[in-house]
Amino acid sequence: MAEPLLSLRGVSAGYAESVVLNDINLDISEGSGLAVLGRNGVGKSTLIETVMGFTRLVSGSIHWRGRDITRLKPHQRAAQGIGWIPQERCVFPTLTVEENLNVVARPGSLTAARVYEIFPRLAERRQNRGSQLSGGEQQMLAIGRTLMTNPSLLLLDEPLEGLAPIVIEELGQSIAHMSGDEGMTLVLVEQHAELALEMTREAVIIERGRIVHRAPAAELRADHDTLDRYIGLNLGE
Amino acid sequence: MSQLLAVMFDGVAFGMLLFLISVGLSVTLGMMNFTNLAHGAFAMVGGYVTFALASLAGWPFLATLPVAFLATMAIAAVFERLLFRYIYETGELNQVLFTIGFVFTASATAAYVFGTVHQSVDMPAVLTGFIELGEIKLPSYRLFLVAIALVITVGVVYGLEHTRFGAMVRASVDNQKVARGLGLNVNRIFALTFALGSGLAGLGGALAIEVLGLDPSFGFHILVLVLIVVALGGLGSVWGSFVAALCLGVFDVGGKYFVPELGSFLIYLFMVALLFFRPQGLFGKR
Repeated sequence: MAEPLLSLRGVSAGYAESVVLNDINLDISEGSGLAVLGRNGVGKSTLIETVMGFTRLVSGSIHWRGRDITRLKPHQRAAQGIGWIPQERCVFPTLTVEENLNVVARPGSLTAARVYEIFPRLAERRQNRGSQLSGGEQQMLAIGRTLMTNPSLLLLDEPLEGLAPIVIEELGQSIAHMSGDEGMTLVLVEQHAELALEMTREAVIIERGRIVHRAPAAELRADHDTLDRYIGLNLGE
Repeated sequence: MSQLLAVMFDGVAFGMLLFLISVGLSVTLGMMNFTNLAHGAFAMVGGYVTFALASLAGWPFLATLPVAFLATMAIAAVFERLLFRYIYETGELNQVLFTIGFVFTASATAAYVFGTVHQSVDMPAVLTGFIELGEIKLPSYRLFLVAIALVITVGVVYGLEHTRFGAMVRASVDNQKVARGLGLNVNRIFALTFALGSGLAGLGGALAIEVLGLDPSFGFHILVLVLIVVALGGLGSVWGSFVAALCLGVFDVGGKYFVPELGSFLIYLFMVALLFFRPQGLFGKR
């Protein structure tokens, strides 16, 4: 088997004095897709931020395509092809839609024209500023903006949080399209476990900073006991 | 009436000068939250570059201006790499102490090299007279100041609003963390912005010799005005700085002329009143 795209070995990390993640071991191979599930505040976002290099790494190492990136700065990791879609979208409010896309652009097959094809709504609003968009549009822009960096891995931190069901459906399709047709590998942190497990092949559950359960996504979807125990959502109906 | 206009114009010219000196600080403060009290010292550097070239080496005044800009930019870039970049993450108190120390050092160096006397430069004939517009006599140097400041304002606004580098600067001001996480080298963008902003301050310092004079304490004196402009305009806002500098210039000159007993207190009253109602400044976001 080829070496994994991203691999975390014994990673413990956190902010300032507090350690949030403990001894995380993860391999993400190209094209697989990983759902990261768990309750609020168990360290899911910290995991994403650690991959990006925003946290303080206490121990362990992170490899990208076999290369040690443990000491690289966030912008260097992004340049390697790790595409981060931040929590709460965080589009640049004073930049127009078009500027939001172009400002982070890197050469590759994904261009602004391609992003407008995926999200036609953004094309209509290309001269609007980020602050003038609705929540759903901001999320489209946040995803499109990261696509402009032509990443091979997409780290999505609760991309569907706080959106209307109809928007969730539309965005879910776009995200599935990216992992399917565009060949991107997804790491999806999501409260909507059902949806996340549909879009990925592997899944982990995090509890108090540790990985407590690993399973193929399809298997976990059917395993309501485990989901109930760690996430406490009623997925039965 | 014509007197009022002349005073107003004087205020506008002074405001333009303040804008040139302040705009760089507004952008860099908004971007990195780096409290840089040394900004005025770079204005002084530009002033002494022009003084050295014009009065000591005999260059024509106008030819010294681009050099004042470029030399200050280069000096600022060197100090950014050597010193300032190490204190970005160290908290405001350290930044304030360090940068004010830098102003003292710069001031002492200027005093050592150029002496403590008030320096001036010879103006070319074309900038010393008046230009008559009907009844109004406008000093040509003030007109020159306004013209050059407007050209630079247009340049700065165009650069920030319509170039990719400008978009990078605005993205970094909007959300530094996200900008980094999406591959922007914020530290390098900041270093360049810092150098450009300091260069503009240097140019402003050179242009200010004729209006405010030049001595080693220039970095301290101008600092008060620069901080008022930045606070009133709002961090990171070019238009905010422009409007604030203009108001400040008009209030200061107008106040000293029409209500001399209040004199220079007027601008502080103005600042207190404005910040009372808009603590984030005119165009500030935070």
